[in-house]
Amino acid sequence: MDWVSSLLLATVRLAIPVLLISLAELYGQRAGMVNIGLEGLAAIGALVGFLVCYITGSNWLGLLCGALAGIAVNMIYAFSTITLCANHTVYGMAINIFAPALASFIYRVYFGTGSDLKQIVTMSSVAIPGLKDIPIIGGLLFDQSPMVYLTLLFVVFTAVFFGRTRAGLSYKSVGEHPQAAATLGINVIGVKYLACVICGALSGIGGAYLTTCYSSTYTDGIVAGRGFIALAAVIFGRWSAGGILLACLFFGFCDALQIKLQVSGIAIPYQFFQMIPYLATVLVLSLIGAKQAGPRANGQPYRREQR
Amino acid sequence: MEKLKKAFGACLVPLLSILLAFLIGGIIMAALGADPFVAVKFLFQGAFGTKAGIGTTLTKATPLMFTALCACFAYKCGVFNLGGEGQFLMGSMAAFLTCYFTGLTGFAGIVLALLAGALAGGIWGMIPGVLKITRGQNEMIISIMLNYVATLLMGVIYTSWIRDASVPQTPAIDEAVHLPRIVSGMRFTWGLVIAIAVGLILYYVLFWTNAGFRLRAVGYNMTASRFNGIPVGRYMLASFIVSGAIAGLGGSAELLGTQFRLINGFGAGYGFDGVAMALIGQLHPIATMLVALFFAVLRVGSTTMQAATGVPTSVSDIIQALVIVFSVAGMALTKLPEFEAWKNRVFGKRKEGAA
Repeated sequence: MDWVSSLLLATVRLAIPVLLISLAELYGQRAGMVNIGLEGLAAIGALVGFLVCYITGSNWLGLLCGALAGIAVNMIYAFSTITLCANHTVYGMAINIFAPALASFIYRVYFGTGSDLKQIVTMSSVAIPGLKDIPIIGGLLFDQSPMVYLTLLFVVFTAVFFGRTRAGLSYKSVGEHPQAAATLGINVIGVKYLACVICGALSGIGGAYLTTCYSSTYTDGIVAGRGFIALAAVIFGRWSAGGILLACLFFGFCDALQIKLQVSGIAIPYQFFQMIPYLATVLVLSLIGAKQAGPRANGQPYRREQR
Repeated sequence: MEKLKKAFGACLVPLLSILLAFLIGGIIMAALGADPFVAVKFLFQGAFGTKAGIGTTLTKATPLMFTALCACFAYKCGVFNLGGEGQFLMGSMAAFLTCYFTGLTGFAGIVLALLAGALAGGIWGMIPGVLKITRGQNEMIISIMLNYVATLLMGVIYTSWIRDASVPQTPAIDEAVHLPRIVSGMRFTWGLVIAIAVGLILYYVLFWTNAGFRLRAVGYNMTASRFNGIPVGRYMLASFIVSGAIAGLGGSAELLGTQFRLINGFGAGYGFDGVAMALIGQLHPIATMLVALFFAVLRVGSTTMQAATGVPTSVSDIIQALVIVFSVAGMALTKLPEFEAWKNRVFGKRKEGAA
């Protein structure tokens, strides 16, 4: 029982970064911006979050600056894809190469090439009185770091925004049919830039979560493919906030399971356990098949004169 | 003449991007308290200054050429194979295991190991290809996930299965299956010749054969190709397998020529670097190889630069990353109609066959 509850606790904790990055992609794709540069955005967010937290000692400031760094890097992507009409996939890859290189460079310049591990104090959990005493789910949902609550609240907000509000509908129309949206007086270019700001901020926070709320250190490659797993989560979750939440909990579970199995003492090379999240992603994507339900104008350049 | 002009135009964006990247790199160096001109001088001196330096640069360029050609070939057919690294690693593992278990030596052993590597890479590349064609799945995510799986699999081999005593690495392969060097005193091997040969073959196949034309047609416009009776799915799958095989061949050549053993960090980052080089080379096999050479110069030279001026080697990573950021944006810019109009205004040319 103890093993199961600690597994579930880790599931929630590990689902959060993927969830944040997936939501980033959701906000992007709903405006037609397919950003595969999430891995890079999260990497720079992780570094800046760590660095700011290391200097100031404030996890919150770290998360905030991680968001700002994500936005800053994503503006390069936004300008190139929206204004210069560069191919989204190609430019996303450029970001995936650029941002981790930048992050690793900043780390080396600031800390030197010495090998001693720099550490910060991760954000402590805040129990919600009363609710945390509910059996089973109490400890799971109401005795976590504040970032967990905020992220889950944000899922609810996202679901309401896209499903129930006029602004959300206008936002979505940019991803479905930008020309039609423009005739309704929606500022298509503006919404696309806004989408990139949100996407950069959320991926940056997702990356910063890894350093300031989860691992307490920064290493190159800390994002470990979560940016791409998040892309899969968006597809798996059928572009809805609720679906994405479930998909991320699934991926979080796979991640938590592999960590638990690694320390369980089973005599199998630990790398086989580490493969679980990646193989699960491949498996899930192959099982759900080709039925794409994404925004129709996803990844297409928008030019005002064009019909 | 017209063709020459076009080729010049195509080179202009990457060259300007490199210049701009070096400019920013120079500013960073200056900010770190080094003289950028001296640093850049040491960078090129390290890569070209001595015979051994040139040899090292060519050695470093070899695996990069393979992964770059892998990416280049797949993209020409419109499939985004981001799994170059995994295919490279599968190739090196297959080559290693072949040498380790068969014990074949000499020419036969080398050829068998290289073929095993290409086969393993091809199979690893086939998986995302099959899933894309039969299940319509996103090949980028699948191929990246397979990169992680391949890296971990290599970890299993060198930490558990075939571990060299206490160190987490495999024993080195027999000297009799090392790829021979071409020039004594320079480290590069026949692997470089294989890489260049692969590049030339790709160039020939893509631009001078019927199959290559169709392959490019699929990459350019899938729907039109389908209506013209080209079996789109088959071409995509073939391009995945071939590009995987190129990377796998690269992995085996790297193992037999340079590394000789599987070890932590083997081939790390080569996949994405390959993507970057293919994009900067505008998916032209020969240009892509030149970009790979340039990347190798940066890497080798930056070590000398760090030793001489204290500028960290990761500056070269930044320069590299900036080149891709600038060149992809620059290529998009030159395709904008506004840019065309501006160019015509500035250079006073009239557009022929006005639309």
